[in-house]
Amino acid sequence: MTQILFHNINKKNLHTLEVYEQEGGYQGLKKAFAREPDEIVEMVKASGLRGRGGAGFPTGLKWSFLAKDVFPRYLCCNADESEPGTCKDRELLLKNPHLLIEGMILCSYACKIETGYIYLRGEFYDLCEIMEGAIEEAYAKGYLGKNILGSGFNLDIHTHLGAGAYICGEESALLNSLEGGRGEPRMKPPFPAVQGLYEKPTVINNVETLCVVPYIVNNGAEKHAAIGTEKSKGTKLVSVSGHVKKPGNYEVVMGTTVREIIYDLAGGIRDDNELKAYIPGGSSVPMVPADQVDTPYDYESLQAIGTMLGSGALIVIDHTVNVVETSLRLASFYMHESCGKCTPCREGTRWMWQLLNQIQTGQGEAAHVDKLVDICDNMSFKCFCPLGDAAVAPVISSIQKFRADYDELIEKLTANPAV
Amino acid sequence: MADDQVTLTIDDQTVSVPKGTKVVDAAKSVGIEIPVFCYHEKLGPLGCCRMCLVEVEKMPKLMTACTMDVGPDMVVKTTTPKVEKAQKGVLEFTLLNHPLDCPVCDKGGECPLQNNTFKYGPGDTRMDFHRAENLKAGPLSPVITLDRERCIACQRCTRYSEVIEQDNALVMHNRGFNNEVGTFNNEPYDTRFSGNVIDICPVGALTNSQFRFKARTWDLTNSDTLCAHCGCNCNMTLGVRTNKFMRIEARPNDLVDDGWICDKARWGYDFLESKNRLVEARTVPDNGTMVFSSPTTQDAAVRTAEAIKKIVDEHGPESVGFIGSPYGTNEELYLYQKLFRLGFGTNNIDHKTYADSPGLPIDHYDVSEIETADLVLVIASDPTEELPILDLRIKKVVTRHGVKLAVLNDQATLMDKYAHLSLRYNIGSDAGVFAALTAAISGEGMADIKTTGIKADQLKSLVEMLRASKKVTLIYNSSALTGQSVAVLKQLMAMIKNIPSIECGAIPAVPHTNAVGAMDMGILPDYYPGGVPVADGEAIQQTWGETAPTQPGLSAMEMIRKAESGELKALLVYRANPVVDFPGGKQVEEALKKLDLLVVHDMFETETAKLAHILLPSNGPGVDDGTTTNIGGRVQFRKGGLKTAHPPDWKIISLMANTVSEEGDGINYITSFSVTDEIAKNVPGYAEISKKSIKKEGMTRVSSASINATGAVSKESSPPKPEALKLRIANYLFAHNTILDATSTLAHHFKPSIVHMHASDAKKLKLKNEDDVVVVSGDTQVSAQVEISNRCNPGGVVLPNISDEQGVWGLANSRDSVTWVEIRKV
Amino acid sequence: MFAFSKEAEKKIEKILKKYPEGRKRSALLPLLTLVQRQERHVNPDAMREIGRRLDLSPAYVQSVCSFYTMYSNKPVGKYLILFCINISCQLNGCDELLAHTAKKLNIEIGGTTEDMKFTLHREECLAACSGGPMMRINDTFYENLTAEKIDQILGSLD
Ligand SMILES: Cc1cc2nc3c(=O)[nH]c(=O)nc-3n(C[C@H](O)[C@H](O)[C@H](O)COP(=O)(O)O)c2cc1C
Ligand code: SF4
Ligand code: FES
Repeated sequence: MTQILFHNINKKNLHTLEVYEQEGGYQGLKKAFAREPDEIVEMVKASGLRGRGGAGFPTGLKWSFLAKDVFPRYLCCNADESEPGTCKDRELLLKNPHLLIEGMILCSYACKIETGYIYLRGEFYDLCEIMEGAIEEAYAKGYLGKNILGSGFNLDIHTHLGAGAYICGEESALLNSLEGGRGEPRMKPPFPAVQGLYEKPTVINNVETLCVVPYIVNNGAEKHAAIGTEKSKGTKLVSVSGHVKKPGNYEVVMGTTVREIIYDLAGGIRDDNELKAYIPGGSSVPMVPADQVDTPYDYESLQAIGTMLGSGALIVIDHTVNVVETSLRLASFYMHESCGKCTPCREGTRWMWQLLNQIQTGQGEAAHVDKLVDICDNMSFKCFCPLGDAAVAPVISSIQKFRADYDELIEKLTANPAV
Repeated sequence: MADDQVTLTIDDQTVSVPKGTKVVDAAKSVGIEIPVFCYHEKLGPLGCCRMCLVEVEKMPKLMTACTMDVGPDMVVKTTTPKVEKAQKGVLEFTLLNHPLDCPVCDKGGECPLQNNTFKYGPGDTRMDFHRAENLKAGPLSPVITLDRERCIACQRCTRYSEVIEQDNALVMHNRGFNNEVGTFNNEPYDTRFSGNVIDICPVGALTNSQFRFKARTWDLTNSDTLCAHCGCNCNMTLGVRTNKFMRIEARPNDLVDDGWICDKARWGYDFLESKNRLVEARTVPDNGTMVFSSPTTQDAAVRTAEAIKKIVDEHGPESVGFIGSPYGTNEELYLYQKLFRLGFGTNNIDHKTYADSPGLPIDHYDVSEIETADLVLVIASDPTEELPILDLRIKKVVTRHGVKLAVLNDQATLMDKYAHLSLRYNIGSDAGVFAALTAAISGEGMADIKTTGIKADQLKSLVEMLRASKKVTLIYNSSALTGQSVAVLKQLMAMIKNIPSIECGAIPAVPHTNAVGAMDMGILPDYYPGGVPVADGEAIQQTWGETAPTQPGLSAMEMIRKAESGELKALLVYRANPVVDFPGGKQVEEALKKLDLLVVHDMFETETAKLAHILLPSNGPGVDDGTTTNIGGRVQFRKGGLKTAHPPDWKIISLMANTVSEEGDGINYITSFSVTDEIAKNVPGYAEISKKSIKKEGMTRVSSASINATGAVSKESSPPKPEALKLRIANYLFAHNTILDATSTLAHHFKPSIVHMHASDAKKLKLKNEDDVVVVSGDTQVSAQVEISNRCNPGGVVLPNISDEQGVWGLANSRDSVTWVEIRKV
Repeated sequence: MFAFSKEAEKKIEKILKKYPEGRKRSALLPLLTLVQRQERHVNPDAMREIGRRLDLSPAYVQSVCSFYTMYSNKPVGKYLILFCINISCQLNGCDELLAHTAKKLNIEIGGTTEDMKFTLHREECLAACSGGPMMRINDTFYENLTAEKIDQILGSLD
């Protein structure tokens, strides 16, 4: 299988500049500096790279939206990785920090940016130190700082740690947090490309997205565009977790089927149990029943079955689980992480949790499920930011796909209230 | 023009509004209501409550009308089933943890939550779990009650604190469902403008503690009135029930207050029911000729007029005088000057102790002109303490409209934080600085400004800033200037006007309610109403008749001096308290005691009233009607609200006039507006002012042109003793005085006496923070604690006037020169 | 009274350099993090001090501080155990292991041992999902936990 991020991920001391260079690291810079910045943007456009943070927005296009002639501009690398099920950025940061730095340099050169921040979730304190070590090495070697490799291009990169808030992964909340505020999302428009960090044009990209850029610059847009499906180009890191024998991060070519990922790469279901459902893109996307396990893992195919690729977190659930349990856990997560700014999300996540908790603890009635569905509808697309919709996705999909689980729990507990 | 208009369709109606208008406001402009909670025009969009969802053609999702700009050919629908379901849903969420205690809620009857629920809400709730328990109502400050259970987390109040007051004192704590409004460490939220959060809270979460449980909102009789504290004349509503004062709320008028009022406006009205009020006319029985007591007010007024007249007949018109008040209405002041000029034949009329003359060499700008300026230059003014609403307006334009702010003052103020350039001159050096600026602007080059405490490059930066501006608004407080420097300042204005690229106007920012009106009404010894100089005999006789006096009269301070020397026999003091507020303190008191007749017409038993032979009760604001002219020259109607058996002041004054009228055919005014009409006829600049023209937003009067002011730069006086320091008396918004007395709702704002020193002086005098000292001048001393705050340049001290009792004005000899004080440790 | 340690002061100097002029508010989270790590909680005195340095109202500092879960208002133990309970770990049995840990430490979830050595928190996803069940103790991630492994880890900490 083609690998562009993980082919050498377990190489010893890859995190050091020395080994990274031996592996061909930082070669992209010279190639890039020989071209005009705009050409790099065009190249990334042509490569078909789409954002790996969750929304899948075409990366080159995003870069080209930057407000013209407004400077300074900023780059924010989104290393907040907080979507339940997702742990791929962490592996990249831990094992290959220079790849991210190189990606950020290339992006900054293309977008005429002179300052970049890596916003790491607060719990990544250890990774932050690794990252800072790598940044220091890059400065010492002249990959960062003034007049990089004699190109006349300057770039500073700084780390910035969050402090425990899932919402700060949402790009505008991230900006507020980076500016020393509460991590509440901002009104859009204006979009970050026009008014982002410090009201200046800003690019925000996920760690994985930026890590793909050196490959594109080194090998050409066509090479990248040749990988994957017609519309989903390249490879994707998939964090496989849950009931599989070999959980872990796997790099797969877009379009690989979910079955291949679960059974071939991750070794199949634990104890050879039956697959019940999977969540393909992190907790915020609808769950899928086992009969759709042959769906190709790419943006379009997953959308076609009513779910999303999201952040690339494949959560596998076997037949021993009643989905009310997972729904309740996720509802509790979203209640905990709702920033509280908007009414439907703040109140709705809590109400959902209340109802699910009632069902789970034996005070549920059939009417509760209908009520849940209606609350979900009252939240859907009516919240300030996508977190509200995210909170709805796992619950509503679990009801739609596994209503029997709810009924079973309600009936069993009504019949036997002592439990 | 047409380029800036956008045409769209809302509920099948075609709407045309300026570009950048929010859909919610566009709808409102054609009478379509889109319900909102978090949106507030003055705070800008936030989009958090989701109440305003509407359908917009070609948009897949419902959109929030409060955050969305109108677009050309946009098609908006506000009543589709989809919208209605969303509204019900949002309201259901909003009410989920709301206590639904409308029957005992002070907001009941005027609550957007109640109204929206009624109009758009679900019939009942489907919530079947325990409502979130929250703290019961408790004090957010001594004057505001916070009921967290009722809060819907719309963030209006916290954004007010962030965006308008800009102090971030009220904030959102915690996250998600635990979000709550609060202060740092639960400390009280007691800022200068805290009360506005009550008006903008769309539910009963923030209520006025003074009004709690006193009345239902629908039982109130509200009168649209004006605040009578400072020269901003903010618009407010006085709520009254069974002729008792209940509460005050803001009544937005963008041209005056931008929608806000300060806390002194909201809670500084206890004086309406103060124990200290004069409720009946009184005379001192054993004062020679007058042996009556407790007369009716009318009787006392008649006798007053007769008694003064008698003195005029015996000693001539120069022997009587009138000290009026910058707090009176135009009508009251107009009638008083008329009484003294025409009835008693004297120009001994004044209302102030500092130098100033009516009129400006440049435009008199209305307050709202600040919004369109590109440079605001604040001179010797401390808006935050003196004209609070101006503080909000300046902060707004500087932080949100990109207006530049320059500050020229002898003391640090809160404006400095917002200023792009802040120059601090030495106390008493104002004239020197103005003269140097004039010279620099006129191209005469840089004068020697070494002694002013300002550096040449600073002055240059200011000149550059001025020259680079297209529209300049000058804000200056002549009552904080020394000597005759106001005249030098007016020369500076004239010089700026000469630069053709600059449009320029000024706002005279004397703090008192009707300081501008008092000047306009000719409460001056040398000017008739409308800035007509006494020398202009022809004009005067045309309006005021043959007998109108054309000799300049005595100024207020001169009257005090002549009282001392016995040349002035009778003085009528109207709503002023010279014993406390005039330079001299004790001396003033001694002088007044020497008068044959002292009449005090006031609302309170002031220190001056205690010396009076005749006391006439004044109704004052909250009771009497009248107009006032604010610092922007805007004339507005100040309606009363409470009823009383006493005749209004304007009636008392006209009764006096009729008593002494030769022909005995004085005018009988029917309402205060009858006087206003006469003002329109007789006072230049007021011709357009009438009951009708000022009804809605008030109307600016035409400012009189300035007479070429001449003022010399006075010599710097030298210290009487080497350790003497120059005194600057500063204002404090919540000073403890007759208006905010000991029982005031705002008593928590009273401050101890503090003398602000420069570190270098403190070092020389071996003083440290919190040392107890006395500030001494002559045989007057004022106790204070030292605060080393560098509030003024070395060589001076700043002493805020924090109470009447403190007696700061006793330290000053006059306003003509700088007062030197010594700081002695006790 | 609160004071930053010498070491922290050095870090502050570096931190302030990260952000453009006039944007020192950006240093708020980093400074709060320094306090949390130094004092194992953030108290009002420290908030006041941070506000003074960054020119922010103390209420603002508290408002931001209370938004983020990694700042606590009372001291946490020498070892702060964040036990992930989110979906991937849940599927792999974290609930039993969390209960086991609480029992082992003889504290409630959310509590701190009397000797102030351990604090145990239920935590949302920590981005180690394919290693679940997992926990983070101070800055270290421990993955693929079992009851024995937990006992051993706890035992190795002094
Ligand atoms: C609630 C929420 C949480 C998110 N969390 C993350 C995250 O942890 N990491 C991330 O890269 N993107 C996250 N995103 C997506 C970002 O908003 C943004 O789309 C992304 O960083 C853009 O980068 P990309 O184009 O490279 O994907 C989140 C979005 C939402 C709505
Ligand atoms: S107190 Fe009132 S204004 Fe403030 S957030 Fe709550 S509901 Fe809004
Ligand atoms: S009024 Fe539009 S979201 Fe609150």
